[in-house]
Amino acid sequence: MIRRFSKPISPSAKREERIFYLFILPWLIGLVVFSVGPVFGMLGLSFTDWRISLDDLQFIGLDNYSKLFADPIFWTSVGNTLYIVVGRVVFGVSFALLLAVLLNQRVPGIAFFRAVYYLPTVTAGVAVALVWIWIFNPRLGILNYTLKQIGIQGPDWIFSKTWVKPSLIIMSMFSVGPIMIILLAGLQGVPKELYESAEIDGAGRWAKFRNVTLPMLSPVLFFVIIISVVSSFQNFTEIRVMTEGGPGESSNVLIWYLWENAFIFLQLGIAAAVAWIMFVILMVLTGIQFRVGRRWVYYEVDS
Amino acid sequence: MSTKKLSRRDFLKLTAATSTGAALAGLGPLSSIAAAQDQVELTFGRHWEAAFRPRQAEYDEGFMERHPDIKVSITYNTWADHNNVVPAWAAAGTLPDVIYVHGSRATPWAHEGIIIDIHDIVTSDEEFNVDGMWEESVRLYRVDGRIHALPYDHGPIILGYNKDMFDAAGMDYPSEDWTMEDMAAAAIELTDLDAGVWGWDGGLDLGNGGGGFFTGAWGGVHMNEDETAMTMDTPEVRAALNHWYKLIHEDGAGASGTEREAFPNSQPFRAGVAAMGHIATWSTPSMRALANFEWDVAPTPMGADGSRYTGAFGSGYGITPTSDKPDVAWRYLREYLSLEGMIFMWSLSGRGSPARPEGLEAWLNSDPAPPSGRYFLEAMFDYAVTGPPFQSLAAAQVSTILSREADLLRLGETSVDEAIATITEEGNAALDEVADM
Repeated sequence: MIRRFSKPISPSAKREERIFYLFILPWLIGLVVFSVGPVFGMLGLSFTDWRISLDDLQFIGLDNYSKLFADPIFWTSVGNTLYIVVGRVVFGVSFALLLAVLLNQRVPGIAFFRAVYYLPTVTAGVAVALVWIWIFNPRLGILNYTLKQIGIQGPDWIFSKTWVKPSLIIMSMFSVGPIMIILLAGLQGVPKELYESAEIDGAGRWAKFRNVTLPMLSPVLFFVIIISVVSSFQNFTEIRVMTEGGPGESSNVLIWYLWENAFIFLQLGIAAAVAWIMFVILMVLTGIQFRVGRRWVYYEVDS
Repeated sequence: MSTKKLSRRDFLKLTAATSTGAALAGLGPLSSIAAAQDQVELTFGRHWEAAFRPRQAEYDEGFMERHPDIKVSITYNTWADHNNVVPAWAAAGTLPDVIYVHGSRATPWAHEGIIIDIHDIVTSDEEFNVDGMWEESVRLYRVDGRIHALPYDHGPIILGYNKDMFDAAGMDYPSEDWTMEDMAAAAIELTDLDAGVWGWDGGLDLGNGGGGFFTGAWGGVHMNEDETAMTMDTPEVRAALNHWYKLIHEDGAGASGTEREAFPNSQPFRAGVAAMGHIATWSTPSMRALANFEWDVAPTPMGADGSRYTGAFGSGYGITPTSDKPDVAWRYLREYLSLEGMIFMWSLSGRGSPARPEGLEAWLNSDPAPPSGRYFLEAMFDYAVTGPPFQSLAAAQVSTILSREADLLRLGETSVDEAIATITEEGNAALDEVADM
């Protein structure tokens, strides 16, 4: 910034700057009015006894937060959220990477397979969830039917307190289309000469993957992990359609807990507090990822 | 269901045929239809399954013919979403003039200003016979003694059975002197797991209507009279829940929660693979449409001491505070919820037992009503009690807790003692939270 002001700016550059701001103005207005504004509006409302009407709101300080921290179901939902987020990110990104590597091969019909794996992404979330309800059906579902054919008695999946979270994670692995596409693009951007050099040095497949592919793909992986964490916090559709937080509270995640407080219990002030807690958790997790990312993410420009 | 449009003439004919002079007087405005003026739009937010929307459209066409100054516009929500959509409408200030109000929501919605106090409008309208409504149904909408909405239906939960399965087993149908023990014994006898059939459909409901059916025969009560405390930690409720838990999970005579999931709407009874299930008046249309077997109903089985008890519940309509024309909204509701309106909308269509006892006979003759539908009426008049929670501001929280624990009991994921302890602890905490509100 200092350097910028130390140099005189030409009139054409100033004009270009004005045009730049003019072009981004609609987006900027949208961002402030529909995103940033409501986020901070929620912060204010989280300190009130807001139920439905915005008239006669009472400032109650940190009461909503105290209530939340004293509610065991809130902590259950935090635990469930972290469980599902870790599962979705670890298994989802790994599976997406595996798919991307496979779909990066030059084999006949590869376009078909790429389309097939992307298909769940372009299908309505509710429809996908309904299909998975049947897949997970303990008596009639194809999953337990298949397991039975190989002599395994399948679990009750989403109808079991133990299995509901793993079920949701398994389901999420089949909706990795977007991150698979990003990773595939990343893979295709890895220079071929690096693999050739590695081969000359005697590197095998695993060594090439570990020492060439992964480092070159690390910025893309870093981005994919961040968006996966964020989207995993927002997995509302599956919960709403498939489990409604159950059985018991075993799939009650923060986004469901928020919705339940807002639209079933009419405790919108508490829901606003939950929204802000989610926001803070996401900010902290993203901050940690950026900090840790410095150790493993390789940017070519650095060198 | 009749597809004939309810014209003004039909409406008046129906009135003449079914109502008393007082009720007839309630339709005073019909005889003085105002000349067409500038139309006002009356907005109506409700849930109503697709099968009955033509009936609603038919009613509204007739209403608009009788009142050319009013145009009725309906927004349909799904049953699953309506109770969540309405608070969103309220928060956004976009509530329609009239809304569907499930009995369990009247108190919290009245408290939050989602529906207005219509007590004076209702009671000062001499032509509207509110006393002709079943008091148990109006009770749902009295908040601090004042009417905030009006019911359209109210029904009890009784026993439904598959006649074909009883015939095939050579067993007598459920009788009027059956006890819960008789029912369980018959369920065990009718169960043939190799054939994939159960005696009991595995239902176990602790909510508004069902709660009374599943615990009342043992003398169990879920909440105290004024709904300030849970009262489920008693030997009576424990005995009741143990009865159902044993029937499902130990005797294997009832479909478990996971087994029920294999059938549409989790209803093995309706799917024809369970000999008995609990049934409400509002469920008979779907039974009539989807059950591919002969079925009928019997009284709720008695307790060991010979007492009979079941739950009942219903729904209604309220006027919202954002309506700038509550007078027009009332003109609509006073006809819609009159005896004639109820007979047209609910009795003749068989959609549900109307909240006016005088309309029940017509419901009995409707296509969806079962042959022994009179047992529903007996329950309503003799032993059904409107089930809690509906008077507490924490009704939604308590209902959520009850539903969750019933779900776990059906799945076999909790024990009866654990469920009772959780309901008592969490339910009382939720009730304490709203004690001062």
